[in-house]
Amino acid sequence: MIFSVLQAATWGDMGKEKEKSFFDFEFITWMAWTWQTAAFFIFIALCLTVMVIWEKKSPGGDPRRGILGLDTTRGDRLFISLLGSAFIHLFWLALVGSVLWIATIICVAYFVLVFKYV
Amino acid sequence: MNKTVNQKAWFFVIPVFVLVAFNAIIPLMTVVNYAFQETFGNNVFMWEGTRWFKQIMLSERFHASLGRQFLFTFIILFIQIPLGIAIALTMPKEGLGVPVCLVLMSMPLLIPWNVVGAMWNIFALPDIGFLGHSLNALGFDYNFTQQIGDAWFTTILMDVWHWTSLVVLLSYAGLRSIQPAYYQAAEIDGASRWAVFTKIELPKMKKVLTIAILLRFMDSFMIYTEPFVLTGGGPGNATAFLSIDLVKMALGQFDLGPAAAMSLIYFFIVLLVCWVFYTLMMRNEEKS
Repeated sequence: MIFSVLQAATWGDMGKEKEKSFFDFEFITWMAWTWQTAAFFIFIALCLTVMVIWEKKSPGGDPRRGILGLDTTRGDRLFISLLGSAFIHLFWLALVGSVLWIATIICVAYFVLVFKYV
Repeated sequence: MNKTVNQKAWFFVIPVFVLVAFNAIIPLMTVVNYAFQETFGNNVFMWEGTRWFKQIMLSERFHASLGRQFLFTFIILFIQIPLGIAIALTMPKEGLGVPVCLVLMSMPLLIPWNVVGAMWNIFALPDIGFLGHSLNALGFDYNFTQQIGDAWFTTILMDVWHWTSLVVLLSYAGLRSIQPAYYQAAEIDGASRWAVFTKIELPKMKKVLTIAILLRFMDSFMIYTEPFVLTGGGPGNATAFLSIDLVKMALGQFDLGPAAAMSLIYFFIVLLVCWVFYTLMMRNEEKS
């Protein structure tokens, strides 16, 4: 498999020799990549790319004073959304514990609200 | 006149980008990767999902060290900021006293963290240390290696000794930048010393104080070396602040997964508190 570097081992793989694949460079295996975390960082990179394109389309960062009385630009809103999402997920894990995707849906709604009103 | 557009200049940013990638982005990515997996070393990792995050969020041990960390940070901010401003106000404004005071003030800042810890450890030892021996000779029952209160007292005293100078230097710089015209106007109006302080000096020092509070918050919230050398987190876990607890977990127990999850939660808390501090202070800045 080409992307086996992105595949975390499971308990069933204990003691087996790991299959070498195309992307298994020594300098990257120590980072212990999985496709889930890779997807997360690709999402972050996409967010930043979208922000750059958005800034190109309408420069100035769209500053305004939102409902919290804070002066925010688009970058601030992205920061608030991402950090808030981290905490929503963490508290969901602590207080509810399972069905994490519901927290993700809450975060999407939170993203939209922050970008619209904060 | 038209400015020439030369996007080639971006190539000069590449070295900085590479440097930041190697000392910040790649390690951070690795921590994220570790936080979702279990390892027994030898580069073998097992997928664990969000288990470690849940475990840390519900862990009594994490709550305890987080509580200790906030208590410590608030105590030292509460002491260092007013004390630093007070010292800056009493420092001479001209003459030979200025360089003498500045050099004396910067001395503690120049001492490496672990040397500070070692100095205070020896200084505070109850049997041979000057501080510890004197306190015991005066009739106090002082032993920072065994009593929780004494350990906290010594750690806080050490941090105040080490870092108040930073607040002093920043406040002093803020004070020196106030135009004499403000003081003259205050004198004409017959303003009291207190009015001068609250209406002129404090507002003018706001920016440097914001920086001082942020720096002191960050440093004390991530403090590791000094308490590690002084008390080693003890007695028991009484002075095991977040970083000490984190290192115990990561290197002492080799629980890399939970330690990575804990450091991410730690990172989010630092980000949140700094953002709140900064936003609140900058918001008042614009009002005034």
